[in-house]
This record gives sequence, C-alpha cells and structure tokens, in this order.
Amino acid sequence: MLVPIFTLKLNHKINPRMVTVGKFDGVHPCLTAATQAGKVFIHNPHVRGKRQAAHRLSQSTQDSDITLLNINQAVSCLAAGILGPNTTGDTLLVGSQTSLLAYDVHDNADIFYREVTDGANAIVLGKLGNIHSPLAIIGGNCALQGFDYEGNDQFWTVTGDNVRSMVLCDFTGDGKNELLVGSEDFDIRVFREDELVSEMAENETVTSLCHMHGSRFGYALANGTVGVYDRTARYWRIKSKNHAMSIHAFDLNGDGVVELITGWSNGKIDARSDRTGEVIFKDNFSSSVAGVVEGDYRMDGQVQLICTSVEGEVRGYLPASKELKGNLMDTSVEQELVRELSQRKQNLLLELRNYEENNKAVPGAIEGESQMGVIPANTQLQTALSVRTATENQRAHIELSISTPNETIIRAVLIFAEGIFEGESHVVHPSAQSLSGCICVPIIPPKDIPVDLHIKAFVGGRTSTQFHVFEITRQLPRFSMYDLHVDPSTPQPKGRVTFSINDRPQRVVMWLNQNFLLPEGINSPNMTFTALRGEGLLSISMHSSGEITLNTDDIDLAGDLVQSLATFLAIEDLQAEADFPIYFEELRVTLTEVDEFHSVHQKLTAAMADHSSHIRNMLVQAEDARLMGDLKTMKKRYIELYNLNRDLINEYKIRSNNHNALLTRLKAVNQAIQRAGRLRVGKPKNQVITACRDAIKNNNINALFKLMRAGTASS
Amino acid sequence: MELNLKHVDYLQVGVTSPKTMKLLPAVGRKATQKVAVADHDGVVNCFGMKKGEAVPVFRSLPGQKISRLELGGALGTPQEKIFVCSGSEVRGYTKKGKQFLSFEANLTENINAMRVSGADLFVCASYIYNHYCDCKDQNYFLSGDKINDMVCLPVETVGRTVPVLACQDRVLRILQGSELLYDFEISGQPSVLELHNRDGGKDGEEVLYGTADGKLGLVQLTCSAPVPKWELDNEKKKGGVLCIDTFDFLGDGVKDILVGRDDGTVEIYGLDNSNEPTLRFENVLTESVASIQGGCVGKESYDEVVTTTYTGWVSGLTTEPQQMEAGPGDEVKMSRETQAKLAALRAELEQLQVKVMQGREKYQQSSQSSTAVSAVPVFSINDRFTLCQEDASYSLTLEVQTAIDNLLLQSDVPIDLLDVDKNSAVVSFSECDSEPNGNFLLATYRCQANTTRLELKVRSIEGQYGTLQAYVTPRLQPKTCQVRQYQIKPLSLHQRTHGIDHSRPMNTLRLVGQFSFAEIHSWVMFCLPEVPEKTPAGENITFYFQNTFLGTQLEASYCKGEGNFKSDNISTISILKDVLSKEATKRKINLNISYDVNEDSVSHTLTMIHPKLEYQLLLAKKVQLIDALKELQVHEGNADFLIPEYRNILDESARLLEEYKKQPAHLERLYGMITDLFIDKFKFKGQNVKTKVSQLLEILDNYDLNSLVDFFNDA
Repeated sequence: MLVPIFTLKLNHKINPRMVTVGKFDGVHPCLTAATQAGKVFIHNPHVRGKRQAAHRLSQSTQDSDITLLNINQAVSCLAAGILGPNTTGDTLLVGSQTSLLAYDVHDNADIFYREVTDGANAIVLGKLGNIHSPLAIIGGNCALQGFDYEGNDQFWTVTGDNVRSMVLCDFTGDGKNELLVGSEDFDIRVFREDELVSEMAENETVTSLCHMHGSRFGYALANGTVGVYDRTARYWRIKSKNHAMSIHAFDLNGDGVVELITGWSNGKIDARSDRTGEVIFKDNFSSSVAGVVEGDYRMDGQVQLICTSVEGEVRGYLPASKELKGNLMDTSVEQELVRELSQRKQNLLLELRNYEENNKAVPGAIEGESQMGVIPANTQLQTALSVRTATENQRAHIELSISTPNETIIRAVLIFAEGIFEGESHVVHPSAQSLSGCICVPIIPPKDIPVDLHIKAFVGGRTSTQFHVFEITRQLPRFSMYDLHVDPSTPQPKGRVTFSINDRPQRVVMWLNQNFLLPEGINSPNMTFTALRGEGLLSISMHSSGEITLNTDDIDLAGDLVQSLATFLAIEDLQAEADFPIYFEELRVTLTEVDEFHSVHQKLTAAMADHSSHIRNMLVQAEDARLMGDLKTMKKRYIELYNLNRDLINEYKIRSNNHNALLTRLKAVNQAIQRAGRLRVGKPKNQVITACRDAIKNNNINALFKLMRAGTASS
Repeated sequence: MELNLKHVDYLQVGVTSPKTMKLLPAVGRKATQKVAVADHDGVVNCFGMKKGEAVPVFRSLPGQKISRLELGGALGTPQEKIFVCSGSEVRGYTKKGKQFLSFEANLTENINAMRVSGADLFVCASYIYNHYCDCKDQNYFLSGDKINDMVCLPVETVGRTVPVLACQDRVLRILQGSELLYDFEISGQPSVLELHNRDGGKDGEEVLYGTADGKLGLVQLTCSAPVPKWELDNEKKKGGVLCIDTFDFLGDGVKDILVGRDDGTVEIYGLDNSNEPTLRFENVLTESVASIQGGCVGKESYDEVVTTTYTGWVSGLTTEPQQMEAGPGDEVKMSRETQAKLAALRAELEQLQVKVMQGREKYQQSSQSSTAVSAVPVFSINDRFTLCQEDASYSLTLEVQTAIDNLLLQSDVPIDLLDVDKNSAVVSFSECDSEPNGNFLLATYRCQANTTRLELKVRSIEGQYGTLQAYVTPRLQPKTCQVRQYQIKPLSLHQRTHGIDHSRPMNTLRLVGQFSFAEIHSWVMFCLPEVPEKTPAGENITFYFQNTFLGTQLEASYCKGEGNFKSDNISTISILKDVLSKEATKRKINLNISYDVNEDSVSHTLTMIHPKLEYQLLLAKKVQLIDALKELQVHEGNADFLIPEYRNILDESARLLEEYKKQPAHLERLYGMITDLFIDKFKFKGQNVKTKVSQLLEILDNYDLNSLVDFFNDA
C-alpha cells in the first residue's frame, strides 16, 4: 500500500487548475498556486528567514513558509519555467482575463506585463516548433498568443472557440513540439506552429490536457470523462459522475512508464495505466482536488507526485519501491484473481441456466408466463431513420422509429449517444395505456456531427415485469438535419463557395449518401436541401469540369461541408472562392463596432485617470479641513468624495460592459478568420488565416474581405 | 486491542436469504468447523476448508428457495442437526447429509422465520406464529403486523417456552402459549433477533435486536416486563441490520457482538466493564451481509468472522496472518495450492465457455423458427425502499446477483433524485414530456463494471402520489430487464410511532358512510406507509404516525362505517380529505365528510417549524459569509480585527459547510410546507389564497415568527 510521504496543511484556498512548482532561485522547488482575492502564494519551506515585504510580495502572517504575491486581479492561469536565456531560476507567469505578467520571484521584479485583449484561460511554457526561444503561450477567446522573454509577440493564431487547455508535445514525432489545444467547441486541435495539423472531435469542453510520453497524451472533459490518445486514435477513456479537476503524467508504480494521475472533484486521486485505464492506485482528499504536479520537494534527488486540494491540503507521494512490485493497493492479487474467476464462472452458469430454462419453455405451458415477458423467438426489431419537417406542435426533427413485427410491445426505449442529448441518454417511456409495438423517437442533433445511437429497447408483453432487452446501434449521419423537400417559395441563398476537385461525380454522390439521410437511388451530385435547424436552403452542384459550388448563407455549414468532403476524398490542399454577403456585412458592422468600443475604452480610461487625481486632491483637502477643525468643509469634501466615488462605480460598470461587448466582438472577428480558413484545406487554409490576421493588424478591412472571398490564390 | 482481520473468500453458492448460514460445532477441541449454507436454489451446502480448498461434506438436491437455516439437536447434546425451511416445509438433515425429517406445516404462506429447540419447532409465516412439538401442533398466534424474525428464550435456563416475535409495527411480542404476555416497543422496525451470548445471558432472558434503520439494542425480557439495557443509534447512517451473532473474539471472556448490515458493513462490538458496547472493528463488503457467524473455519486456532452475502459468497475475516503477497509480475511465487486452485477454476471455466457457446448458438438458431419462444427465467433482485427518519427522504437500494449494466428510473409523480456518494454510476436525466406519457422523472444510471449493488435517494413531496418504477438490466446474456414498482403514498413522509402527544391542538376529520372495515383499511393503507396489508383483527383500530420532516403527528382510528383522523398539521388533514374522498368516489361509496379545524393548530405548527427554519436561515446566512470572511482574512493576514461572531464563523466554517451540504434544499422544503399550510388553512374556509402566496414568500424572505403568524391570521 502506497502512503503519502508528506502532508501539509497550507491554510490557503487553492484555485482549481492553478497550481505549479517552480525553482525560482534555480535550486529550491516551491509550490505556487493562485488563491482568493487575486493573490498567488508561494510555499518555500527550504529557505527560512524573513524577506522584506516590497513591491508585489508580502509575507503571510499565518505561515512563515508562505509568501503572497499580489496580482490585484482574478488569476485565471499560472505557470512556471525557464523563459529567458540567462536567468538564474524559473520565471513565474500569471495570466488573468486581461493581462499576462511574467515575474521574477527571486529578484521580486516584473519581467514584462502585457495587456491581452483575448484573455488568458490557459498557459503553457516551452519550445514550439522551429521558434528558437521558449515561449509563454496563452490561450484566450478563440486566439493563441506566444510571448518570448522580452514580452514580444512571437506567435499568434486563431482557433475555433474559447481555449480551455493546452499542452506542448511532439505529436507528429518529428522531434519538435506541437501545440495541442482543447477548446469549448469540444475539439482538440494540434498546431505545428500556426499550421493546424489535426483535429479530434470530443463531446464536451476539453478542460485538461497532459503529455504522457512520445505522441501519447491524456485529456479530460467537462462531463467527467478522462482518457488517453495516441496521436489521433483514442486508446481508452472512462467516465465518472465526478469531474476531473487536474490530470498529470507520473510513473507512480516505478515500472518506467508514466501513468495518468487524475484529481477528481470529489477529492479522489487515482492513477491509471496508460495502456488500459485500469486503476492501480487511489487515495482520497476531504475536498475537491485543485491540482496535481510533481517536484523534488524534499530535495533528496527523488521526484514526488504532489497533489493539492482546494482547501490547501498538500500530499506528496514517492514512486513505489521495488518491494511493492507494482501492487499499490491493499489487496491480495490471488484473492482478486480467484474472485474474478469465480464471478465469471457464476456468470456463465447463470447464462447457461438461462438457455436451459429457455429450452424447456413450451408456449402456453410456463408458470407466470405473462410476468416473464415471453416473446416469440423470431422477434426482431426494425429501426428506421427519417427526416420530418416542422409541424405546428413539433419542431423539425429526425424520427427514429422502432417497431416489433408481432404482438409484443415496447415498454421503453433508452438511447445512449454522445453530444446530442442534454445528458448522455434519452428515454422514451410511454404510459401504460398507450403501449404499442412501435415507438417513434424525435431526435434533434444540435450540431452537424456523426453520432452512434446505442439503442436499448425493452420488449415484452403488456403485463410483463421482465422484458427482453434488444440492443441495436444505428449511426446518424453527419448532415442529417437537411431535408430534400424544398418549398419553392424559399429564397435562394446568396452565399456560396466554389472549388474544383479532380474526382468523379460518383465519389461525391457516395459522400452525399454517407453523410446525408437520402432516399435510395440518388446518382447525381446536384441537389438542394432545406436546412431544418436554421432557415434557408443548401444546394450542392457539380460541374462536369469538377467544379463544385455550395450555395448556403451559413458559412459554418459551408466550412463543415468542405472539410468533410475533403476528408472523404483525401484532398490535402484545396483552394476555394467564397462569397457570403450577409455574413460579411455582419462582420463589417462588427469591425466598426470594435473600433467604436476601442475608442470608448480609451476615453473611459482617460476619464478614470482624471477622476483619480480629483480624488487625491479632495482627500487631501478633506483631511486638511479636518486637521484645521473646519468640520463643515470637511463634510462637504467628503460628500463630494462620496459622489465622485459613486460616479466612479457607475463608470466602472460602463467600462466593464464596454469591455465585455468588446470581447464578444473580438471573438466574432477571430471566429470569422477561423471560418474563412475552414472554407479551404491544407496550405491555402493556413495562408488565408495568416493573411487575414495581417490585414486586421494593419486595419485593412477591404483587404480582409478580399482575402476571405478569394483566398490567397492571387499571391 | 486493535483487531486486524484479513478477508478470505471460501466459496460461492446461489443467492442467499438472511440467516441461512451456520457453523457446525467443532468435533475436536482445536479442529476447524464445517459451514452449512442454504440458498435460493434450494440447495443445502455443507463444506469444510482444507488447505485453502473447500471440501464438500454434502450437497442436497435443488428445490424451492430456502429462507432460513437453523441448527438443532436433543437438549444438552451438541446442536449439529441442520434444519431448513422452504415454502411451508421444514426439512432436517444430519451432519452427514442424510435427510431425517420432512415436515409440511400446511401454512398458506411461506415460512420466513424458524427456530428449533430440542423436540420443539417454532415457525412464523407473514402474520402467523406456530409451535409444534414432535411435529404436533401446540400453540398458535396471529400477529397484528408482519413477523420479521423470532427467537425463543432457552428452555434450559428459563424453564419454560418463551417465544419472542419481532414485528413490523416496531414491537417485540413476547408470548406465553398462544397468548400475548406483553409487548416491547422499539423505535425502529426490528429485523433480527438473537439471544445475547448465544444463551440469553445469565438468566437466559437477554435478547439482542437489530432494526431495519440500523439500530442495535439489548433488552432483558423477564417474566413480567421488559427491561431495556442499551440501544445504539445509527448516527453514521449505515445500512439496516440483517444478522447478529455473539462470539468471544477479543479473548477477554466476554462474548462480542458481530453485526452484518445490508450495505455490506461487518462490525464487531466489544462490551466494556459496564457492559456498554463499543465498536472495535469495521469492514465493508461490496454486497449486503445476509448471515454472520463467529468461529473457526479456515485454519485451526485462528478465530474468524464468517459471512455470507446476498449473492452467495461465503467468506471469512480471519485473524490468521497472511503470507507476503506477490505482485502480478511474479505469479511463480503464488503458493502451490492457489495455483492448483486457479488452474482448476480456469479449466472449469473453459468447459463452461464451450457449453455456453453451444447454448448461445442454439438460442440464435431458435430465432429462425416461427414457433419457438424466448423465455428467460426471472432473475432475483434484492430491493428495499425505506424512509430515512433523519433527512426525511426515501432510500432505494437494489442488489442483483450479477453486475448491473444500467438502471432506468421512471416516476409519474414529481420527485427529486439526490446524489449518493457511495454510488459511482453515471446518472443522466432525460427530458420528459409529461403531457401524453405522464412522466415526471426519467433518469438512467450507467453502472461501472462489477456494480452489483446500487443505492439511490429520492425526495418526495407530501400530497403528490404515484409510482416510482425501476427497470434493472444486469450484464447477463440473453439481456433482460426487470421492473420494480414502489408506491409514493400521499402522506409519504409519515412514519408509525407508538403514541402521540394529545395536548397539542388538533384538527379532526370525520368520515361516515357505508363502507366496510376492510375498505377503510385499504384506503388508509393507500394513504400512509407502514400500515399492515392485512385488515386488523377486531372491530376497530388506531394507528399513530409522525411526520419525519416536521415532527407533526397524526392519529388514525377507524372501524366499519366511521373513520376519525386527528392531526396538528392542517395540511395532513387536507391531503387525507382529498385522497379519501377521491378513493371513495372511485368505489361509488357515499361519504359524509366533516371536519373541525382548530385555529390554534396553525400557529402551533408554525412554532414547531420555527426553530428548524430559524436554524436553517442562520446556517444559510453563515455559509454565505464564509468565503468573503476568508478572503478578508487572507487580505489582512489575520482575523483578529473581526467581531467575535464573524471569527466564530471562520473557526466553525468546516462544520457549517458540512452541515449545509448534508441538507440540500432543506430551506426550500420548509418554505414549500409553510406555503401548503397557508393554502390548506384557507381551503378549509373555502377561500382561495393562491394570489397571496407571493406575499407569504416575501415575509419568509425576511423571516420573523410573529409577522408570519400575524400574516396567517390576518390574510
């Protein structure tokens, strides 16, 4: 049984996922974590002795080992590591929603401070691709930004949605690091510098990523899933009702291979084998885990796994010694094995009994037949998927109909599927009066994703208490919410994207059949659909020259279609021309709004500076009056001060509203660039993204739209 | 003395009922004891352990499910004859396995409790107690409520036959011949009785009892009156007691008490000098503990606790030290015996696998035939749906022989599903369209591998009644699921008590009409939990109830043609009135309903709620402040500047948070009940005050008892 080698109670709360270990003087590892009130604490048990409280640092009065660092803003991410070329120790990086601070704890000095408009939700430190110096890369609202030790912006790109987690690892095996980014649109994206190498779709917000070894990495989702990927293939995953707060790779059993250590919201810590996900060790904290890190905290040359809870409890574990032989839990292996085998035996015996009893069964001669749910042996369920347009009392949906061929009834249907229901399952349970052999389940997938529907249907008689469970898996195609039925009065879409492929139309038809719910016998790639989720039409037409035009006003849909088709036809680079007048007009408005909000922001900042000098003056005047005994003036001054304070608060509210509005606009702009990129594939895609970004930097809006329309073919 | 016991598995038999395993007396002084265990397949299995291997002594043929196993023999000789009861039959076996007795008790119900003493046989079916001597009928008793267990004081010491019945209505009934001598009231439903020290103590009059809500007590039953010795509360909310034994484990000459519970807990209580019990050892198994015995089975001169669980695992918690355990890497180190055991098991598994494959194929083939039927035998579920007094919520436990795959919960009444820490299954709530199908709750639980037991908590609202259904699907081919139904009664939060406080102001409801005693009894049973199914003997009956949430009370007394209900809570009366009149109308019986509302009762109920509400409000307020205070503390460095009240909150923060977490939505429930009280009060006056509810909620938000009472009076 593995037990912690040290436990600490730090008396400071720890913000989840904001824990790191840094050697700020180059020698002693210090546990560093963000805590309440916009502070970061640094636990340094190695060097005692008072340090002067100055600049940002102050000594904690409760615990002499702890120094507090004042950030004066809610901290959103934290990292420590070597950033500069010739610094003595690690640099501490603290990100908030508006800024990034690089700080030298040893010298108690700022290295740089940058305003970041997109915020910093996640941060990693390290080398990326061919960029020479280590970077501090922050992920914010749809944007990734990398700074070198001088605070120079060395790297910038956009991604699909708000970034929640990042990790650097050699994903492609080329000896250089790629950047893995998990975001709120459920995707894990891999960037080789600013080129998007691959994308893995998950079914919830990706909250944590960690590098295991080689090209293998662990991930955690907001719905309680953790798992391991090797490149783009998922090795294993498990789901818990709790949430994974922090994941970390550490070799706890001493077999030379790291395990995935997960800290859970219920205070549980477990270590799972990287190959199978089997639990090899677990322990419990009394409150939620805040972070899992590693470091040589006892300074004896051995690295410990350090787990922290939100209440400030810290435990350190040493990797297991050889004597334990990888058996970290307090169980006897023999016992477990015997028990497992006996359990299997019992299961087989029960199954055998089921068959034996079943063979004895003669229709009509069984006691309690009606309860047992006896059904004809040849009962087979039929399932069908079809598109249904909206009616008065029901929204447009896909109908899954399940029916039995005989007089048996379906008591209930459970559908387990990822990403299309609120939870992980959907249940249809008709009332006892309306039982029948056919059940229709309306399904409305919120996004265009391919989904496996795992259907469990309980089939039996009307009065049964036991039912047969039929398990069927059906796949819902990616673009299922599109109906071939077209209302002629619907206006034609104005947006379009055009590109050329070197493939036969039959291949495109194959793609259509795989990705849309189509009746049989479609053999032309030219067709028009009604989009059931949104409004408007989608039409696809292919010229004999191989030129394909997609007509839709939904730029996201166009991007999805292009990406899906390119994957199907294995196209590496695809240039496209596009025009989405409605969307581009919206974007133009957004861009002007960004300018407006920017200028308002500047004005407000100036006003605030003005006010603060007023306050200073008034305070001095009021205090003067008090010292002079002129209470009347003093009161007057204080009342003025009070009014001014109220104004300031109001202004602050305006400012924060303005800031939030600005943020959403900026996010929209970032998304626009991403969307323009998704209309192309491979190199043209990256070129469009880079060029668009430059256009925005130079504030050349016309060039931006030109790029979005034409791509970079002209250059 | 610190007990360090190791878990050893011996054997798995079929599903077992409580108290179906006994250890046969040892032959020599130091020899190991044989185990006799009976299961639901009707098999009596007697085995001994030799070198870690179970060596069978005998195995009877399968038959009807066995509900009890007892040992007997001529008085004064070793008790080594094995008696089992199944259905209404009692069978006896010698220790060699020869059947020497088969006695048909000719009862209409199945026997569920049995004792043997010399030539005397005592059996209990649901409501009936029967005493036979040499298989000849001697005495008979009809109990007012279900009999859960029975015990006989030892004839050798007491000198006469004294049977003790543990009845569902929270009473121990002590008999003399066919007559009731006296009864002993206990606070929970007694589930098991056992003689203290196995012989009833010095005078043979001491009886240990365990209750379904987890209490444990000792009472001395003298010839004239009961003398309660001690009772242990179930503070840690462990499971209900299923079995008790006494055995000197600590070697101090005093027999310790061994307890097995339905949540898998095994406990050993030692008795100190003042004969008060203290917990010495606790271990939690994964399944409910059906039988427990102290003795020596695995190896001579090492005492152990032998248990059987619901799924039929016979295992020991032994004092024998285990050899150093080997890791998975070096199976060579495993002892020869275990290796041989494993090899045998594996071989057996392979054979079974082949048989199962054949069975599967045949089953598949039968699906081609149009005449064959598929009839899978009903699997057994061990379920309990009980009201917890502490938090006024229902706990539902389900236990199946094999691992559970998933569970579907469906309810046609609004109920809340609460999270249970022990439960690791992933829950997912499905949207429910209450209109056509009448679903208010649809939730699926997807279980982790090897989950055979599930525990859920459900919170009901009084006045809303219906059915909760659980569909359990185990991981067993061919897949089937079984539905279990649980009634949510109109007064679901009420519990039976032995008496009420008559000095409280009471509201009364009086029913007069042409109904029989059985009819009104069935209505009362429909409304209230813990009412016996059987119509009570005699002309009239009175039951007392207590509301577990508010502490208000109800007296129900009725006879043919008349019913009187008294409660200090006007809402209780209102619910009863609605439901009873509805039930009567259903049966087309004309009811004459009259009621007498006591104005004082409302303010009385409000005063009763007052301390609870005040406490909850204060708690909520304190909990709200904790975070802010902690932040101030960090900011200022210490908490000395705060007023004592706030410092106190900081000091107690951990306890406050714990308490707050324990009672989710407590305040909302109290608000809901006060609102009901308000509406019901005026309903009896014929006024509809629904429009004033918002005013009431406003008053509750700024709670003060006087203003609330005034509002109730004035509105």
